Amino acid sequence: MSKELDFKVFFFIGKGGVGKTTCAATFALQVAKSKRTLIVSLDPAHNLGDVLGINLGREPARVTGNLHALEVDFEEMIIKHLKDLTEKIKDMYGYLRVLNLDKYVDVLRHSPGIEEYATLDKIVDILKYNVSKKGYDVIIFDTPPTGLTLRMMALPSISAIWVDKLMKLREAILDRRRIVERITGEKIKAVVGGRELEVPAERGRDPIYRELMKMRDEVSLVNSVIKNSEVTTVILVVNPEVLPIIEAKRAFDSLSKLGIKVKYLIVNKVMSLSSARVPEEFNLRLKQEEEALALIKKYFSNLRVIKVPFFIEEPKGVDKLDILNPYLTPLVNGALG
Amino acid sequence: MNKSGSRGFLSKWLSVISNLFRAKSVEYTYVELRELENVFTLIILGSFIGLPSPPTNISLRLLPYMAREIVVSSSVSARLDDMLAEMAGLFEVS
Repeated sequence: MSKELDFKVFFFIGKGGVGKTTCAATFALQVAKSKRTLIVSLDPAHNLGDVLGINLGREPARVTGNLHALEVDFEEMIIKHLKDLTEKIKDMYGYLRVLNLDKYVDVLRHSPGIEEYATLDKIVDILKYNVSKKGYDVIIFDTPPTGLTLRMMALPSISAIWVDKLMKLREAILDRRRIVERITGEKIKAVVGGRELEVPAERGRDPIYRELMKMRDEVSLVNSVIKNSEVTTVILVVNPEVLPIIEAKRAFDSLSKLGIKVKYLIVNKVMSLSSARVPEEFNLRLKQEEEALALIKKYFSNLRVIKVPFFIEEPKGVDKLDILNPYLTPLVNGALG
Repeated sequence: MNKSGSRGFLSKWLSVISNLFRAKSVEYTYVELRELENVFTLIILGSFIGLPSPPTNISLRLLPYMAREIVVSSSVSARLDDMLAEMAGLFEVS
């Protein structure tokens, strides 16, 4: 493990409504007893603040002594992402300032994939910050429902392939430019928008190559974190119901293909009741739960399975979340080793 | 023609041949460069014409620096009908 990655990252992944946030928040509270911890909600429909019982924003807020939490503001992030881009365009083509470029920003925000990228951008920001400032020992990401999370987790691998191919093509272009310059003894010039510009032939002077290198570094950082099982632990959360389990199995397969290891499975809201003690109407429900638990054994035999019971009172607020502690302690001990 | 005159003639002739080859190789390299820049633009901005393209963020981040490539691609697309003739001319196919 690289020396600069001396922190741990946890992703809680699962279908909407299974209790990811509750499990992640309880886990964070326990970990924060001994480690500087940050919990980040990446779900566009945030409820981390509701679960912890405090108001959260885009900046880390102190929850307990060692625990900070934030909810990513997606609208603001997408606007910032596109504002940076517009500023770059304005810098490059200053003579176009007379045009109101901002009006195009609204269109760009609907680009396919922009939400996944905004999420990934935020993860990159947090990881970069933590690598440089070493602010936290543990970072916990409470993720959006499975579909968006899987697309987001796949992005670094897909981007790495694209960036690699584009860099090779760009190198071929720059090689040809240097050959032309060497033979003619002159710099290549281009007329763009009536202005004569010198065309860069060196890798360090070509803004496109520089931007590609920057992207490669960012993608490598994310890949080096999420694919490193010493740094990152992925925790799947399900309910003892067939559909979330099938979805978790698909997520497990997709993550395995990406080289991301899942180590733990939390089965949340297990009824664990004897059929003799419940009304007859619940028997079918209990039978379905048994089937679901059997399915978990079949699909996830190589994961550590942690069962969290169903609580009559919804665990909400820092004090009430304590009720989950005994069940998540094995996860805390195992994950922090 | 005396000895020094013939040497001068030979050197001039060699210089003409060398310049000819140099011009030809620059011409080939320029065409190759232009086509590579065109392919680069098509890959980055391919989604505008229905080609598969990189993740949106990569395209958007490179877009501000693509002025020359876009100019090259526009000129290539404007002369697409004549491209075969240009290639024939380049390789001296008559």
